[in-house]
Amino acid sequence: MANTNILGPARSRVDGPLKVTGRAKYAVEFEIPRCAHAWPVVSTISKGTITAMDTKAAESAPGVLKVLTHQNAPQPTEASGGGGAARSEGIRIEERNPLSDDKVHYAGQFIALVVAQTLEQARYAASLVKVNYAPEAPLLDMAAARKESEKPKKNNDENVQPKKGDVEPALANHILLGVRQTYSTPTETHNPIEMSGIIAAWEGDRKLTVWNATQFVKGVQSILARTYGLDLENVRVICPFVGGAFGCKGALWPHELLAVMAAKAAGVPVKFHLPRREMFTTTGHRTPTVQEISLAATSKGKLQAIKHVSHTAGAFVGDWVESCGARSSAVMYASEAIKVEETVYPLNVAIPTFMRAPGECPGVYALECALDELSYVLSMDPVEVRLANHADDHPLKGVPFSAKHLKEAYQVGAEKFGWSKRNPRPDTMRDGDLKVGWGMATATYPAHKMSAAAKATLFADGRAVVQCATHDLGTGAYTAFTQISSEQLGVPYEKVTFELGKSDFPFGPVAGGSNSTGTVGTAIHDAAQMLHRALAELAVDDAQSPLHRAKVNDIAMIAPGRLGLKKDPNKSDNFTDILKRAGKNAIAVQSKMEEPEEDKKHAFQSWGAHFCEVKIDPLVPRVQVTRVVTVINCGRVVTAKLARSQIIGGVVMGIGMALHEATEYDPKTGMPVNPNLAEYHVPTNADIPEIDVHFVGEPDFAFNPIGARGIGEIGITGIAAAVANAVYHATGKRIRDLPITPDKLL
Amino acid sequence: MNPFTYSRAADWQGAVHDVAADPSAKFLGGGTNLIDLMKMGVEKPDRLIDINRLPLAQVEEMPGSAGIRIGALVRNSDLAEHPLVTSRYPVLSEALLSGASPQLRNLATTAGNLLQRTRCYYFYDPAFPMCNKRQPGSGCGALEGYNRIHAILGQSEQCIATHPSDMCVAMAALDAVVRVQGPKGERTIPFADFHRLPGDTPGVETNLQPNELITAVDLPAIPFATRSHYLKVRDRASYAFALVSVAAALELEGGNIKSARVALGGVAHKPWRATKTEQALIGKKADPETFRAAAEAELAAAKGYKYNSFKIELARRAIIQALSTVAKMA
Ligand SMILES: Cc1cc2nc3c(=O)[nH]c(=O)nc-3n(C[C@H](O)[C@H](O)[C@H](O)COP(=O)(O)OP(=O)(O)OC[C@H]3O[C@@H](n4cnc5c(N)ncnc54)[C@H](O)[C@@H]3O)c2cc1C
Repeated sequence: MANTNILGPARSRVDGPLKVTGRAKYAVEFEIPRCAHAWPVVSTISKGTITAMDTKAAESAPGVLKVLTHQNAPQPTEASGGGGAARSEGIRIEERNPLSDDKVHYAGQFIALVVAQTLEQARYAASLVKVNYAPEAPLLDMAAARKESEKPKKNNDENVQPKKGDVEPALANHILLGVRQTYSTPTETHNPIEMSGIIAAWEGDRKLTVWNATQFVKGVQSILARTYGLDLENVRVICPFVGGAFGCKGALWPHELLAVMAAKAAGVPVKFHLPRREMFTTTGHRTPTVQEISLAATSKGKLQAIKHVSHTAGAFVGDWVESCGARSSAVMYASEAIKVEETVYPLNVAIPTFMRAPGECPGVYALECALDELSYVLSMDPVEVRLANHADDHPLKGVPFSAKHLKEAYQVGAEKFGWSKRNPRPDTMRDGDLKVGWGMATATYPAHKMSAAAKATLFADGRAVVQCATHDLGTGAYTAFTQISSEQLGVPYEKVTFELGKSDFPFGPVAGGSNSTGTVGTAIHDAAQMLHRALAELAVDDAQSPLHRAKVNDIAMIAPGRLGLKKDPNKSDNFTDILKRAGKNAIAVQSKMEEPEEDKKHAFQSWGAHFCEVKIDPLVPRVQVTRVVTVINCGRVVTAKLARSQIIGGVVMGIGMALHEATEYDPKTGMPVNPNLAEYHVPTNADIPEIDVHFVGEPDFAFNPIGARGIGEIGITGIAAAVANAVYHATGKRIRDLPITPDKLL
Repeated sequence: MNPFTYSRAADWQGAVHDVAADPSAKFLGGGTNLIDLMKMGVEKPDRLIDINRLPLAQVEEMPGSAGIRIGALVRNSDLAEHPLVTSRYPVLSEALLSGASPQLRNLATTAGNLLQRTRCYYFYDPAFPMCNKRQPGSGCGALEGYNRIHAILGQSEQCIATHPSDMCVAMAALDAVVRVQGPKGERTIPFADFHRLPGDTPGVETNLQPNELITAVDLPAIPFATRSHYLKVRDRASYAFALVSVAAALELEGGNIKSARVALGGVAHKPWRATKTEQALIGKKADPETFRAAAEAELAAAKGYKYNSFKIELARRAIIQALSTVAKMA
């Protein structure tokens, strides 16, 4: 049944009580008998060869069961990841298998793993491993890697060098007004509160179970099966809860293979919970970016050209492209001409990966700052500039965006914020001694669709269980899917149990790209349709049913828990009555995995607007964000409370990006200098004001039957620009290099 | 983490005896710094002597003066809220509350805070090959490394690390005195002589002997310290070490400065008493011009590196800001 309300009910988390009482079990919290513990040894150079490794002292240390190095590690059957497998069969970003040879490609690379009876024993023994290297000169920054740089054509089938028309004539036209600036963002690291971790347990040589913190149980299952030549059903992946991920648990990383190898070599289950320090080098990060934006516009503010040239870092152990411009400048505004260029510079630094809104997040930051700069060149209000270039149609595809309500988002945001009271001149607004700045920016994120299947079981007592191998990263997926199941099946919310996080369940895709709610929601919708059909088939054969002898195709759910004739709803029957009369205790169906249909008549993208206020002491200038209003247009919002939390989380992370976050590296060794939560700054409560979130628009049923486009990532896009733009408005200083720390405002 | 043994001291004599008997033994206070460094493999004591049961957790008025005595085991959180501190030395309370997090302050002890070690990246992680503190003669990794959080005053080519404490900056301004017990009995160390500049021996950070136990910190009576303030400039609003901090107290007489106490944090290998600033303030009018000149007097000798030169300007502004705030206090 289509639900046309934009806002679903404000559910609290179904798993909330489990979490606050400590009963929610995270991957490494499972108690597996005889489980040993692992501690890594990592490289302290960025490039070179291991010439000698002395593991004798470690091997004879108390409790040590095994010391794995490249010299003795059992090598998997698949030499390296990547090569040809579809994304639905798992994701490898770092394609090199750990301990596969004596080469070092980045600092922090695993070069040995110590397995011992206790964690302390493993850690101590790891400190006894001695390593000699023949170091080589590493490439540590993009400027040094110019010769090795490449312009990739594609990134996962997406054109990363798109263009429309020719930007150069407009950019050279002196009658037009323009902006040409370079914006840079540093390396940022995901830092979920739960570090990645895995317990690997073999049963003989052919059966493997892993309890693993992952965003993709089916992908991990598939890769491990391939890597070890096992039958798919003999690899079980279990992950009922994830303590945050933001992308760093989407791919399969070396530590997961190491634990599996170690369990094999040591002959006992092995737990490998990454130390926080290693989370900075072995599970990816957001690549640093340098982005040159050139804009040309008429005096009325109509964009004639957008050129977005990005330089980002890659690595030598796999491919990573952060498509900054392709996901911002190529889709956001109705410019006459658009050109996007991406260049990747491979470095001897750990490989980057997707981090919340990869590409969109840095790309939107740069473009939205440049548009703010343009608004001052034009003497136009920043909202007006954006309205003047509003894209009804996708700028490259030429088809209309479906259920786009961005204008409404600007309007509602401006109103709630009080934007009309803004003095347009920078460095004019004050609160006592403090400088006050107001800034805004657009948020955007594409609507991604993947394939999933769901199994739904309805019991004669009225309960339903729905299962899919999807994930709850702390986002509230359990609750959202319980809600969707309740609506789609027509079973009261309290009677639905939704189960996820097990590879035994029907396929769920990687929890990435904000796709889960829509994709799994669609699978639940399909399963519900099948269930209703199965019930209808029982009813039409049942002489006691008011639906006896009706055509199955004429029957639909007419109210929660009731099937009836579409044309004559007075003829109806209860789910549970149908089951009971048929003498069935339960009925189960499983939806089919179908390639998502592509609607070529529309473009699907979510939108939003951030408005923010900052206050800055003129003498000792630390930026304090004091107010944020964010309005989001993302189709239907399944559960209002959790959706709001997702947007708040995105905004908080975006404030961190604007003001605090940066992984810094030692220029000589290439090791991160701040790989811990004391020195890698994310916002504290004291840094975060009240964040006022609103949703506008309508369910996007052209996109999927749930009408929901996903909300995990859009919140972080644009907010860093809104903060940077507010800082300019407060001070008259344009800081184009994130994060905006006090030193940059002196 | 290296294997170690653990014992609990019943009295200070026992504690001193135990630590004197084993050169690699260490006292355990709140453990918030020591245990962390042990996990990192920087500190490797064979033995931990837990002193948490010693009766050293009192804050008392000192007999015969308006000063106070702070027991070595008084927790940072308790000290920050103690009425004798909030009423007489607000700068110390503010400094404590600006440090770390409530959880850490609940554990951190006064003596442990004095002896906490630098947050220099090159010291804290032994994976970095160069650190003259950890390994004399290995060089200073920060000198040409990522040195944003490093020193601008009093450093040497051997070491440009800073002392990270907030509490100590206030204590330096307040002329504190450290009381210690050793095998030879009790002695006192004036605060200015407690921490050392790095010179050629950056590994020797204080003038405390390895076999000495800190028992208390005394604060003398400074009536005008009621007009005092701690300003901490950091990268986020809370839970970050100081980029630069200033502890300041002023005694004013008809708009002129009669006495001044100023100390800086985040700028040097020790809590930095800004004596040149103080001298430049005495007898002058309490106005921005005076404050600017006083700040510059101290910072004339400052030297920055690739990533931390901003600290010189930031310190100048922070001194002016802190003094202006104090001057405006009723
Ligand atoms: C994440 C984080 C953030 C922090 N942020 C800040 C901050 O912003 N500002 C700040 O000032 N501090 C900060 N700190 C540091 C904190 O203040 C110190 O860790 C704490 O004060 C140390 O006290 P402790 O009692 O735990 O010391 P311990 O770790 O127990 O001991 C430290 C040292 O003192 C020695 N010792 C302890 N007691 C005695 C004694 N009585 N006599 C002789 N030797 C003794 C120990 O042997 C050891 O060498 C932070 C710490 C962490 C972990």
